[in-house]
Amino acid sequence: MNWLRKFFDNQRRHFQPGGKWERWEFLFEPTEKFLFGWQQLTSGPPHVRDSLNVQRYMVFVILALLPCLFFGIYNVGYQGLLAAGRPAGLWPSILLGAGKVLPLVVISYAFGLGWEVLFSYVRRHPISEGVFVTAMLFPLTLPPTTPWWQVALGISFGVVIGKEIFGGTGRNFLNPALTGRAFLYFAYPVQMSGNAIWTAVAGSGRAVDAVSAATPLAVAASGTGPVEKALADAGYGFAKLFTGLYPASIGASSTLLCVAGAVFLVALGIASWRIIAGGAAGILATGWLLNLLAGPSAPAFWKLNPVFHLVMGGAAFGLVFMATDPVSAPDTHAARWIYGLLIGALTVMIRVLNPAFPEGIMLAILFGNVFAPLLDYMVVALRLKKRIPNV
Amino acid sequence: MQKIHSKRGIDFRIRGWPGERLIELDDPDRVAVPVDKLPVAKAGLLVKPGDRVRLGSVLFADKKRPWLKFLSPGAGRVSQINYGPRRVIKELVIDLDGDEKYVDFERFSLAGLRAAGRREIVDAIVAGGLWWALRRLPFRDVPDPDVVPPQILVGLAAKEPFSPLVELVLRDDPDLLRTGIEILEKLAPKVIVYTHADNHEVLRTAGDVVNLVVDGRYPADDPATVLYRTKQSASENRSWYIDYQDLLLVAGLLTTGRLPTRRIFAVGGTRAPSRVHFRSRLGVPVSHLVDIRAIEAGSRLIAGGILRGYSLEPDGFMGIFETGLAVLPANREAEFLALFRPGFNRPTNSRAFASRLRRRELEYDCGRQGPERACISCMYCADVCPVDILPQMLYKAILAQEVEEYLAHGLLDCVRCGLCSYVCPSKIELTENFEKAKMEYARQQ
Ligand code: SF4
Ligand code: SF4
Repeated sequence: MNWLRKFFDNQRRHFQPGGKWERWEFLFEPTEKFLFGWQQLTSGPPHVRDSLNVQRYMVFVILALLPCLFFGIYNVGYQGLLAAGRPAGLWPSILLGAGKVLPLVVISYAFGLGWEVLFSYVRRHPISEGVFVTAMLFPLTLPPTTPWWQVALGISFGVVIGKEIFGGTGRNFLNPALTGRAFLYFAYPVQMSGNAIWTAVAGSGRAVDAVSAATPLAVAASGTGPVEKALADAGYGFAKLFTGLYPASIGASSTLLCVAGAVFLVALGIASWRIIAGGAAGILATGWLLNLLAGPSAPAFWKLNPVFHLVMGGAAFGLVFMATDPVSAPDTHAARWIYGLLIGALTVMIRVLNPAFPEGIMLAILFGNVFAPLLDYMVVALRLKKRIPNV
Repeated sequence: MQKIHSKRGIDFRIRGWPGERLIELDDPDRVAVPVDKLPVAKAGLLVKPGDRVRLGSVLFADKKRPWLKFLSPGAGRVSQINYGPRRVIKELVIDLDGDEKYVDFERFSLAGLRAAGRREIVDAIVAGGLWWALRRLPFRDVPDPDVVPPQILVGLAAKEPFSPLVELVLRDDPDLLRTGIEILEKLAPKVIVYTHADNHEVLRTAGDVVNLVVDGRYPADDPATVLYRTKQSASENRSWYIDYQDLLLVAGLLTTGRLPTRRIFAVGGTRAPSRVHFRSRLGVPVSHLVDIRAIEAGSRLIAGGILRGYSLEPDGFMGIFETGLAVLPANREAEFLALFRPGFNRPTNSRAFASRLRRRELEYDCGRQGPERACISCMYCADVCPVDILPQMLYKAILAQEVEEYLAHGLLDCVRCGLCSYVCPSKIELTENFEKAKMEYARQQ
């Protein structure tokens, strides 16, 4: 890699103060360091520092998301071929899926990074690596049929309104990817409501190249008999819901891969296990409570086995990848438990009790984000009370 | 015996600890008192270049507190007074002439010590120029001798890389420590002597004076951590502490009537030519402890521990408080796509490197390991803080200059252990900012 090293060494002078591209130093530096690491030394005590930096932290989150992306590509193609009545082999599925999904990911990165670069340039800030995670998370939550312009609009809204206007990463209190997703949800409810899910049909020449079918959550909400049976009748057995091989948003359907991602991130100490565990416990407890409270006349959805709530819709994806975003989550461990529980409980309540919103996880997390500072405030106040004052 | 356990902190698996060997060094040609590293506001010089001094002659005193004197650590001629930025005295260099003429101080017999009152002991330490050895928490400044502190903490402690082995230092003269503790008992109603639960030799040889055992990782053995873990009320906040090697100096002064100069230094770090203990004297030049020419270019000399110490030039001198010298690499090689490598030899407290899979010692270097970024609220800092501070919140309170708030967050309990800065993936200089805020607060007092 010596030629590359030399290339960077030669170009550096242009980006140094007085060089012709001086103001673009904030792009040069991260690119160079990304490839070759950071050589700066500590200027004082402590003289040694942990090898872990934010960049590696973000790389791991993206790594954990890649299986969801790959599965999403396959699944989108597979469902598209099925809907067109064509044989859904492995490679044709991947090819078709890649054609549908990758443009959305590329657009998401292009616009997300574009805004980040613009804000960095104007504010003379370093680029924040968080945008790489945001731009990956965002398209995974979208239906594969989302128009390209909506992807661009959504990620722009998420990055600009969800993050930059608060001063950038670290100061935002909402999860940017989820902010963008919620914006599309409310601005374009027809395409995004989540009552019906979307399959990009293979090779159709029609103007509208999508078919929709009721999502598991819509089936569950409308069913009258036992919900488990209604789901099974609609083709959503437990195993299918768990693996995620059904028409759904691009990358958020597979609970299996979310569990794998959670294990990976928790094992590396990146994601807070307290939030994930709290969230799962909140979902199960609330589902179970509804079971208990359900009288004979209660809607069938009340009586659903709570475990189904974990595997339906985007609950697992949201808990593992969205709720654990440390910036928008509370800081203290106790508050993280409460935050998880709150999100879990709200998810189920929105799903079951509010007919207007079939999917609850998105709103629950945003709601949790809003309350995170308050939760922290209370936990910290209690903690500080226990300290022996030292003034 | 009371026992405390601290859960937090870090166990550094670092390569380069000095071995148990103790090498006697001949006297250097020169010694110095590095003035800028002392807790004095402004030094008023009492000598000028060319003056002849004895071991124990007064070199300078604190202008604000003239009784706080600093004595010559050797007999000879004042050869240089070096100044740092803004004409602050950096160090006073004395060329030793080898005859070791010394100033006589009051000398106590053991019985005399026991019979002496607090005043007498204080006066003897102050006159003998060793009062600086006593430090007051939380600012680590030199205390007012007339104030009786709630307690004095003495740590027989060595967790920070690279500190001398306590047992090695105590082997010299085990009774001197006992004398020292008797002296401290004159100064304060309570003296806490603690050591590590796993230091069996110290527990065996000095077990009679040890009254507290600490168990836990660095910095469980720092006096501020011990105070935080043991204190019952806010009245103990202004406790004093003294380093055990400094206590041996005080005991030596009072029992011999002569300013002792012997010190044991630990030299460690992967770039140190020989990693051993040296017996030398106060104010020794660094070049006397390590062969500067044998050190690879691009290394950093650190006096006083890799987490709290300061870097020294090759022509520098060991400060009077410092007993450890580390030589670490300070020239990072570019490693292509290091971000994506498993990192079998990368030191970390996280679980994000493969080095966590093996328990072996690793080489640490002075790299910052990343650029400074905004806080991502990962809470790694809070998970290591030995005194239950939430560093990222304390940092925000300090940036906002909310004095009440940062005091409530425990700024004054901060041990300045450096661990929060060490673990921070955003490479925020937390400890440095805490220390600045603390000093600023101390000035306003
Ligand atoms: S705040 Fe940082 S430097 Fe202070 S005691 Fe805690 S970890 Fe150590
Ligand atoms: S370790 Fe650094 S990034 Fe993490 S919470 Fe503390 S200050 Fe913030």
